[in-house]
Amino acid sequence: MKACDVVTANKLLLDIIKTNLSGEALNWVEAWEATPDQINGLGKAFVMAPRKTGKAIVQPSVLQLAALEDAGLANVSQWSIDRLFRVWLLGNLPATAQDKLYAAIDQLFLSAEMNEAVALYSALPFLPFPAIWAKRCAEGIRSNIGSVLEAIMENNPYPAQYLDEAAWNQLVLKAFFTEKNINLIVGLDERDNLELALTLTDYAKERWAAGRKVNPQLWRLVGKFTNEEIFEVLKTGLQHYDQVEQRAIALAVAASDYEPAKDYIDTFPELKAVLAEGSLSWDKF
Amino acid sequence: MCCSNSIERDKAMMGEPEAFDISVVSGMKFFDPHVHMTSRTTDDYQAMADAGVVALIEPAFWLGQPRTGLDSFRDYYSSLIGWERFRSSQFGIKHYCTIGLNSREANNESLSEQVMEILPLFIYKEGVVGIGEIGFDDQTAAEEKYYRLQLELAKEAGLPVQIHTPHRDKKKGTQRSMDIAIEHGLDPYSIIIDHNNEETVKEVLDRGFFAAFTIYPFTKMGNERMVEIVKQYGPERIMVNSAADWGISDPLAVPKTAALMKMRGLSNEAIELVTYRNAITAFAQSGQIDEADFNAPQSIDQSVKFEGNTILRGGQQPRTDKSSIIIS
Repeated sequence: MKACDVVTANKLLLDIIKTNLSGEALNWVEAWEATPDQINGLGKAFVMAPRKTGKAIVQPSVLQLAALEDAGLANVSQWSIDRLFRVWLLGNLPATAQDKLYAAIDQLFLSAEMNEAVALYSALPFLPFPAIWAKRCAEGIRSNIGSVLEAIMENNPYPAQYLDEAAWNQLVLKAFFTEKNINLIVGLDERDNLELALTLTDYAKERWAAGRKVNPQLWRLVGKFTNEEIFEVLKTGLQHYDQVEQRAIALAVAASDYEPAKDYIDTFPELKAVLAEGSLSWDKF
Repeated sequence: MCCSNSIERDKAMMGEPEAFDISVVSGMKFFDPHVHMTSRTTDDYQAMADAGVVALIEPAFWLGQPRTGLDSFRDYYSSLIGWERFRSSQFGIKHYCTIGLNSREANNESLSEQVMEILPLFIYKEGVVGIGEIGFDDQTAAEEKYYRLQLELAKEAGLPVQIHTPHRDKKKGTQRSMDIAIEHGLDPYSIIIDHNNEETVKEVLDRGFFAAFTIYPFTKMGNERMVEIVKQYGPERIMVNSAADWGISDPLAVPKTAALMKMRGLSNEAIELVTYRNAITAFAQSGQIDEADFNAPQSIDQSVKFEGNTILRGGQQPRTDKSSIIIS
């Protein structure tokens, strides 16, 4: 996210927090807003948040919901109030002393329980100096905790914007391995690359060798890079005569300039017909 | 933890074992307030879930050999609130923990000083339901020092305390633990005295503490003795746990004891109190236990997909068929 977008988003998050809290919890949030040295008090406020805010799922108003959608943050409407508060808390820290801020937040990562880890990774796109967390984000992808991986991989604009290619490719590959919802990865198509396409075709071959199915979304990241080597793998897939797989491969090849693959697809009348019809799209797999 | 024992000798002493028939208590829910899951396998988690264990507490303890550095403690505490909590959730079991410096390692004073500094980072975390397990092992001066410091920490944080009582010189150790807790101004009702036996239970209950019993083969309580204790003292402020760990122990100790109580004529109400309710009453004083998290009507259908995902929300693990030679 751009810096100005973060400011707008933080305002919106605070607005939702305040309309979802009352009484003592609301006073606590307002007292925090007025705290002069927030970095010093960060650890305690972050850890205590659920005791103060509760853990109910937030209920944004119709207007807030529309604003969330405009900001590309529609999924926030499914967050619990403690997660939302923690993300706002981190995103709203003063962007002054970078080293001090890094040390304070890094300490939270080092002793995070599951829900804290989810909030920390959800907060990455909102943090001041976002670039300094690229390594931490790559480390998070090594987690085996489902909810933590989802916080990084799904509906999170941070990885696509800040991870280098190797870390990004690891994220995508691990998302397939751990059966995450590929459609929810932000920047999936924008960050496709040949290296990832080759790794994914190897992965598909491994799955086939084990007698397992391949997620059709995988071909979406392969098609554009079709070359002689990849074409051989696609042919194997087409010969499985699994309709979903065949259609996914056909749609992938449609995005490529590799003529032999296009010609080969045309030898399947059913695939040629659905492509001509234009009814296939990645959202439908 | 135990010495080596021969199955043949046990059979000679105790006769052929009676089979555990879970159907006697099927439909009952159990809460194991002391079990060291980091030392157990996924088979144990599966068996506990099958037997009706819906929630558990994992106290911080020593790992069978002493830690030599602060980071080992930090990573261990982190694993209790992170990875182990997640592992448990995969089997539909709600995982809580207590955090503390155990008595054995309190004897390493230079390290204990450092551990005391990081404890406040962990005790306020979600799902931390007490300070524990702390207390005496050898009953040394160092153990007493860190026991007292942690009682003060519990008082400040408003958390219950889970107290380990020593294997050796148990009766005096238990009395001393209670005396010191009262001296520090703690309410006995916020303290769970663990590993009781016939010799300690009366005084613990008379003084208003919760009395926990560890059903652990060879070295602690057997569950037949446990049935007699509940018959004699009633179910109030009594709870049973497995304390299953890296030694020969039984993660099904709580449901098995419930089944035995049922077969020996204790009422369902009494069984529910000592194998579920009393533990919740005691540890919920932390404000960190919401019974709805594990008491909701459960319908875990392994085939249900979440957003097209074959793994259930929270990562419920698919079941493997252990009786099959085929692993796929």
